[in-house]
Amino acid sequence: MIGTTPKPFEEIMDAVAGYEKLAVIGCDGCAKVCMTGGSDQVEEMAEKLRKQGKNVVFAVTPDRTCYVTKTRTALDPHIDELKQSEAVVILGCGGAAQITRKVTEDYDLTIPIKIGLDSVGHMDTLVMGELALEQCQECGECILNETGGICPVTKCAKSLLNGPCGGAQDGKCEVDSERDCAWILIYNRMAALGELNKLRRFMEAKDYSKMAKPRTLNIKERRVA
Amino acid sequence: MKLTELFDKGEFVITSEVGPVKGCLRSGSGDEPPQCAREAEMVRECVHAINVTDNQSAVMRLGSLAASVKLRGKGFDPIYQVTCRDRNRIALQSDLLSACSLEIDNVLCLTGDYTSLGDHKSAKSVFDIDSVQLLKIAKGLNEGHDMVGNTLTKSTDLALGAVVNPNFEPLDLQLFKMEKKIEAGAQFFQTQAVYDPAVFERMVKKTEGFGVPIQYGIVVIKSPQMGKFMNKNISGIMVPDRIIEAMGSVSKEDRKKKAVEITTELVREIAPMAQGVHFMPLGWSDIVPTVVEAIKGTVV
Repeated sequence: MIGTTPKPFEEIMDAVAGYEKLAVIGCDGCAKVCMTGGSDQVEEMAEKLRKQGKNVVFAVTPDRTCYVTKTRTALDPHIDELKQSEAVVILGCGGAAQITRKVTEDYDLTIPIKIGLDSVGHMDTLVMGELALEQCQECGECILNETGGICPVTKCAKSLLNGPCGGAQDGKCEVDSERDCAWILIYNRMAALGELNKLRRFMEAKDYSKMAKPRTLNIKERRVA
Repeated sequence: MKLTELFDKGEFVITSEVGPVKGCLRSGSGDEPPQCAREAEMVRECVHAINVTDNQSAVMRLGSLAASVKLRGKGFDPIYQVTCRDRNRIALQSDLLSACSLEIDNVLCLTGDYTSLGDHKSAKSVFDIDSVQLLKIAKGLNEGHDMVGNTLTKSTDLALGAVVNPNFEPLDLQLFKMEKKIEAGAQFFQTQAVYDPAVFERMVKKTEGFGVPIQYGIVVIKSPQMGKFMNKNISGIMVPDRIIEAMGSVSKEDRKKKAVEITTELVREIAPMAQGVHFMPLGWSDIVPTVVEAIKGTVV
């Protein structure tokens, strides 16, 4: 999922300063899992905005706001209210905000889109409602087959491909003593698999052109451009 | 002179580190020489070469190449340190070409301390390549081509150094990387600071067949507070309590004397297992000549 954290409410209020009639749009996908933009948080945000004197014209939470069809399906019944809205507050990731902007443009509306969350990465949920971890950077050239299923590109602060820097202490990363050194995790995993010798292999410099932004995925052709 | 020539002759190679100043070096009349130049002068007669750090601890300073070139101009042999933290593969290769063009003979290839440890915590870390890849690329430049195979008009001629941390657990994982560095092109190694002879010996035994010279690295402990600080904040280094206590047992005025004593003792004990010693005096370069004098007959 895409991890999100709430922006400070004051920052959201600054963003909507001068706009009285607002729509609030959440996301019942990732933002729901992060408890930042699901239906409950959308209701809470609408209430908070009303308390600040804003007129919340409508609030809605599409199933997945990053899917253009799902967002359109959720907004179609609210088209008249959307037309009345002076700005839209999005409780979703940066993708959700941009899909919503696209949908409003498709309706031939020019409405400011204001995001209420910060997107913080591709996250894997470890404990529902409590903890998620960043483990994949979508680098476009997965090397998990070489590293015991643990990604050094993401889990090593320095994205080192040929082993650890000298900075780990007690198995922890020099950058954050709470975090395991990715390369020690890889070493232990490869030892358990009886494949330590594979770590002796030189890994070539990564082809970062494969993560050059912005990427387009041609799903039919299974091709990234 | 390339350090490799000294090792080949069987010399016990002594190097010491200086950190470039936080400021520029364009001289005006009456300027004091910068700290790094003064420190280099202190060790001129007792070391073979001087390491010049690359924005050490991720603190922005004068570039290691500029400082290396300045020292070269004063007759020193600099070891130009290059980290992967701040520059991508294009900039790193270009800098290596520049270094050789500016009469630098030695380069030490490192990963680099992480950005958040330094004084520009919001900076974007680069780490486009790692130290093993950097060594392989540098070897390629010595052989006349860049990393994508394009031919150079003239090859570099750089002695390639690397680092290893004997304190690392599990050591085998660190040594896998050391072997990869050798395969990639590393011709000599300098170690992270070691204060326990048994730790150094463990590494030496495991690397006997590697066939590369290793310099024993030592950071001079200047105060008990510094020892404690390093244990708490500098990963990969372990300063034993006995050294912290010894530094704490003397008055502030006598600390330098005590540091000479402790450093000499460690070098006497550990350096015979190595092919050289690398001092990291962190501002106390003036003690290096005394230590080198004191170890004459044992290792030098």
